[in-house]
Amino acid sequence: MSAPSSTGPSAGALAVRQVRRAGRAVHTLTRVLRANPLTLVGFVLVVVIAVTAVLVLVAPHLLTPYAPDQGTTDYTQGPSWNHPLGTDGNGIDIYAEALYALPLDLALAFAIAGVAMLGGGALGLVAGYWDRPGTLGGALSVVVMRVTDIFLAFPSLILALAIAVSLGRGVVQLVVAILVTWWPYYVRLVRGETLAVKHLPYVTAAKAAGVTDRRIVLRHILRNVLEPVVVYFSLDIGTVLVTLSTIGFVGLGLNYPTTAEWGSMISYYQVAGFITAYPWTVLGPGAAIFVTVLAFSLLGDGLRDVLDPRSRRVLAGSGGPDSTSPASVDPTPSPSAGPLPGEGLPAAAPGGMT
Amino acid sequence: MTGPVLSIRDLTIDYVIGAGRFRAVSGVSFDVAPGRVMGIVGETGCGKSTLAQAIPRLLPEPPATIGGGSIEFNGVDLVKVPQWKMPRIRGTGISMIFQEPLNSLNPAFRIYDQLAEAVRIRQARDAGHTVLDRREAPPFDYTRRPKPEVGDALVRPLVPGGATAKAARRSLSGRRELREDVLEYLRLVRINDPETILDLYPHELSGGMRQRVMIAMALSERPALLIADEPTSALDVTIQAQVLTLMKDLIEEVDTSILFISHDLGVIAETADELGVMYAGKLVELGPVDEIFGSPRHPYTKALLRAAPTRYKSDGPLLSIPGSVPNLAKPPAGCRFHPRCPIAKDVCRAEPAPPLDLVAGTASHRSACHFAAEVPQLV
Repeated sequence: MSAPSSTGPSAGALAVRQVRRAGRAVHTLTRVLRANPLTLVGFVLVVVIAVTAVLVLVAPHLLTPYAPDQGTTDYTQGPSWNHPLGTDGNGIDIYAEALYALPLDLALAFAIAGVAMLGGGALGLVAGYWDRPGTLGGALSVVVMRVTDIFLAFPSLILALAIAVSLGRGVVQLVVAILVTWWPYYVRLVRGETLAVKHLPYVTAAKAAGVTDRRIVLRHILRNVLEPVVVYFSLDIGTVLVTLSTIGFVGLGLNYPTTAEWGSMISYYQVAGFITAYPWTVLGPGAAIFVTVLAFSLLGDGLRDVLDPRSRRVLAGSGGPDSTSPASVDPTPSPSAGPLPGEGLPAAAPGGMT
Repeated sequence: MTGPVLSIRDLTIDYVIGAGRFRAVSGVSFDVAPGRVMGIVGETGCGKSTLAQAIPRLLPEPPATIGGGSIEFNGVDLVKVPQWKMPRIRGTGISMIFQEPLNSLNPAFRIYDQLAEAVRIRQARDAGHTVLDRREAPPFDYTRRPKPEVGDALVRPLVPGGATAKAARRSLSGRRELREDVLEYLRLVRINDPETILDLYPHELSGGMRQRVMIAMALSERPALLIADEPTSALDVTIQAQVLTLMKDLIEEVDTSILFISHDLGVIAETADELGVMYAGKLVELGPVDEIFGSPRHPYTKALLRAAPTRYKSDGPLLSIPGSVPNLAKPPAGCRFHPRCPIAKDVCRAEPAPPLDLVAGTASHRSACHFAAEVPQLV
């Protein structure tokens, strides 16, 4: 082995490589987004929603001149230049209220879906990997799965409503009520994916290389389970929002007008009988829910493509000599080491291996 | 070095599926001496892969169960080692190359990450028991590396402590050195332009390249025993030839004990020192490769040789063995090969085959046939 090992990369070369890799990642993202216009729409919407939410928290006067719950003398006016979504019976600007509800609704959705994903996902990972009957892990797995089954057997919305009723109104109560019904889906999803992944040859190969179980779970399995989970999470944000609004709509959520929340807003105006006379009071928060749910759903679909390294490269285009041609280096040792495009064996296309 | 690296005695492995019980490996015994290459051949369904995966205890248990016998690796009986301790033996003790190079690399990680993981494991374990400064050590010289240590795989702490270990761990964090270490092994398996390969994902490599990476990964841990489980059977013929040539070169270069599993007699003939022939879960013939190829003493071996288009058989038609491997849930009574054996007699149908026994006039050639002496006369 007289390989020229002395000519290792310098620190500068490593830095250059990392910069180039980061650049390639951005490049890939733009390519993926361009290849799938709906993903682009979802991505842009999510960015706009996120920026708006931050602005509402930091500098709300940039978006609306009205403070939260600030009445005006423009009672029950339709959409106009001053009040883009009209006003209610107290002259409160619907557009401003819907805006002020945005950070809270987003935070609630992320908190519920996030805690459910982390908690349920961790349980699913453990229950899926250590499921050999007759061991401690096997027993734990059985317990987790049966409890999960029990929770899944209830209609989740009814259960959440029941818990919300018994806990009373409030942000924390609302989160707890939905969380209790939310985590089992992640247990199911992650356990199923883990079961599928853990018998794949590369997990066995990692085991054969002496990798410990804990590391296999946290590195090899987690990374391969992550993709469907993140996609599900993104879609789930929308579902949580809808559930939140439903609970608000039946009057068990937060207390509008004290706390602005879309579902509670709709509920409030519907109870007040505005839905026929002044429909914009309901349409405003309704549109907010619709746009937000749509944005996360579209993004979720696109995330699948971004997260999978295979479809990522396919989407990023067959061009780019830096992405594909190295695989076409002739596997036999030859004095010429330069990867010339088109030299040697063609690059292995996904699905069509030699 | 004294004694074999691997010593298997009366190993029995069952698969329990539903009510059925399949004895995939029954009563297999053999040794692998240090630095030697042991080949195992047999038809598909003879229990070769089960045997290979059972040695580092990689078989999913259940459905598989080790019914009896022992797998002594450097004096430690792996059958009795609890599963949670096995990671200490795998990798640096026993490493493995698999049949499916296409799926044996994690699709989510770059080649570098996977190789670096293996190198890190080796470095961490090295740090536990040797004074090791990789900066002073010569870059890479397999021929001069120390012989595999006996029996320390279990004693070595998983995460070693002490000043040396700390120094070594610090050097682990040196990414450049790790990268260099990884590159050395990619060069070892004759990969052109390893720098570029490092940044690629497995799906961007061809099958042959992936198997090279797998080989590099296994070797980078400097295992005391390397198990190659049909490393070429999933590749197409030209790539097979390249990988085989590589394996042959590496066997010369890398001073390690190898258990080479294959159904290809030509491969075994060129690589192995010793050979075991498996049929229906049993070893039917065991001995030095040259003796077995020169004068097989079991009708199954003879039939295999006649069925293989190798340089050992250059004229006349290739003869197939009639029938197929028996269902291991209900192996035939008597000798398991008798329904397909050209010289089967009444005794073969009534009594089980004799245990592996020395063939008269040889030092280490063993056969499990009542009529071992008659096989050479078989046409």
